[in-house]
Amino acid sequence: MNMLDLNNKLMRYILYASISLLFILNSCKKETVFVYEVDPVTSRKDDINKGIPKSTVEFISIAYSDVFGNTISQNNLSRLTLLYLAFGDKRLIEDLLVKNMLNSPNVSLMSNSQMRSDIPGFVQTIYSRLFNREPNELEAFSLEKSIIDDTELTPELIYYSMMTSDEYRYY
Amino acid sequence: MNTDTTKNMSKYIPRRDFLKKTAMAAAATVVAPYILPSGRLFAATGNRVANHVVFCLFAGGIRNIESVQKQRGNLMPSLLSGGASVDPIIAAGMDSLPTIPGSSLQSQGTLFNQFRYAQGPTGHFNGHSTAITGSYTLQDLNIKEPPRNPTVFEYYRKHSDPNQSALNAWWVSNTLGPYPSLNYSTYPGYGALYGANYMQPSTLISDDGLNALSNPRIFSSSEGEKINSLRNFFNDSFAIQSQAEGSSVSNGMNDSDLLQSFIRQQLINAQNGQATNPWGVGASMNGDMYNVYYAEQIIQEFNPELLVVNMQGVDICHSNFTEYCNNLRKADYAVGKLWQTIQNTPGMANDTILIVAPEHGRNLEPNTILDSFGQPAIDHTSDSTSREIFCMVVGPAGKVNQGLVINDITGESIDIVPTIGHILGFRDSIPGGMLSGRVLNEAIV
Repeated sequence: MNMLDLNNKLMRYILYASISLLFILNSCKKETVFVYEVDPVTSRKDDINKGIPKSTVEFISIAYSDVFGNTISQNNLSRLTLLYLAFGDKRLIEDLLVKNMLNSPNVSLMSNSQMRSDIPGFVQTIYSRLFNREPNELEAFSLEKSIIDDTELTPELIYYSMMTSDEYRYY
Repeated sequence: MNTDTTKNMSKYIPRRDFLKKTAMAAAATVVAPYILPSGRLFAATGNRVANHVVFCLFAGGIRNIESVQKQRGNLMPSLLSGGASVDPIIAAGMDSLPTIPGSSLQSQGTLFNQFRYAQGPTGHFNGHSTAITGSYTLQDLNIKEPPRNPTVFEYYRKHSDPNQSALNAWWVSNTLGPYPSLNYSTYPGYGALYGANYMQPSTLISDDGLNALSNPRIFSSSEGEKINSLRNFFNDSFAIQSQAEGSSVSNGMNDSDLLQSFIRQQLINAQNGQATNPWGVGASMNGDMYNVYYAEQIIQEFNPELLVVNMQGVDICHSNFTEYCNNLRKADYAVGKLWQTIQNTPGMANDTILIVAPEHGRNLEPNTILDSFGQPAIDHTSDSTSREIFCMVVGPAGKVNQGLVINDITGESIDIVPTIGHILGFRDSIPGGMLSGRVLNEAIV
């Protein structure tokens, strides 16, 4: 055995030893546990995603529920649907239907004093009820300000404005 | 022409001739661009025969045999001249109707005795669609969708200059089913934006209509301002505002108010009994007559430039021939009343052309059903007789040829839309190739 072979063996030994030591050291390291999860959020519909117009039946039944607070009967829904079909300008007939609903003695709207006793609450409630979403900050601020600034602005006018708006025709 | 040339020419042409030719050349330079390919000097719009057209689809399937050929007597005394008495076999099944005073409509216009519904299935909706679009329905029809080709209402509203509002264009149908969709098409570039106001009176002006539509909350003007302000705010916040338009015909805010008032008034009139027997014919009043009555209300209220109204009571002929004849008389009476109303309506009297045509005919051979008078019923299944119809164009002397009867085969269903376009002055503005029919020039002075 010459010196060159001896050095090679020594180097190989040192290499094996180093690798073994590395494995031993790593295997002794405490394992880190990663846990992935989602924070709890409240889901709500964004108006940007409202792209589907309500059908005749949907519009009438939803409007009825929004104004009267209960579900329209199948018989009444069928009758109103036929009326809806009998005039070409759908927006006009929707407008007339909503105005008639709002003029009914059975209407279930918040009173003016109730609205003014908790304006932010009213704004949140009406957006949720009619637009099926929460208002953004600008919308909430603007509507609250309108109600505060104009003492003659009633829940009925706000209902009517929202129910005859573009957004109310979509879901 | 430069100065030197002018000087040179003036050496050889007498001064008067030179000035005359120069003036003519200048005039030609100005006028030439306005000469249309049709040879007319001015654009079609504004060059009208009359300012109003009422098209009565005398529909439900009517054979020439019972109408213009009068084989069972003159069942259409308001439209047709001549006093041929009604066949006694069916006379007992006829309801009593008064005579409308005055001369027949035939004497006040042009009658095409051999008109044709030349192509497509002899179905009611096919026939209506053809008459209203000016295009035969050679492909399958989807009755849940508007027609593929533009309707006469869209041609009228799009190609009139200035564009006409929906308040000027009306489609009044006697039933729902697929008929509400005939007020506009799906044709690119046309559609709801140019559609007609549509009304189906027997459903709208009803007890249900009274309950649901007659008692609206009326807002004051100050409330209206608040509402508009709020609604604009909500609309501005909505990302797809533009898509809210175009899903139906739409009237502007002022026109919408007029229409709502009109609907409410009709509901109140009906509640008060004013529409129960409006023509004084008692129990003879049928659905067709009510439909025409409400078309009259529209005429009196809005003076529309284009109104299409239909009747289909004669379709009972599938099971009852005598009642078919009875309803034919009622339809005739309704058209007589319609013309009377037009002539009594300021703004439309002497400035309206009435077109009357069935959508298709009925078969030559009857089916096996007999009515109580022993008369066999008749279907319509596209035989050659079911394609034979008539057309009458009625209007003031000087606009429509009076008392003219055309007995040879002349005119087709698809000619009615171009004829309306010609009368109202927008025919030449419709792009070439969209309408294959022709103007019924035989009728127009």
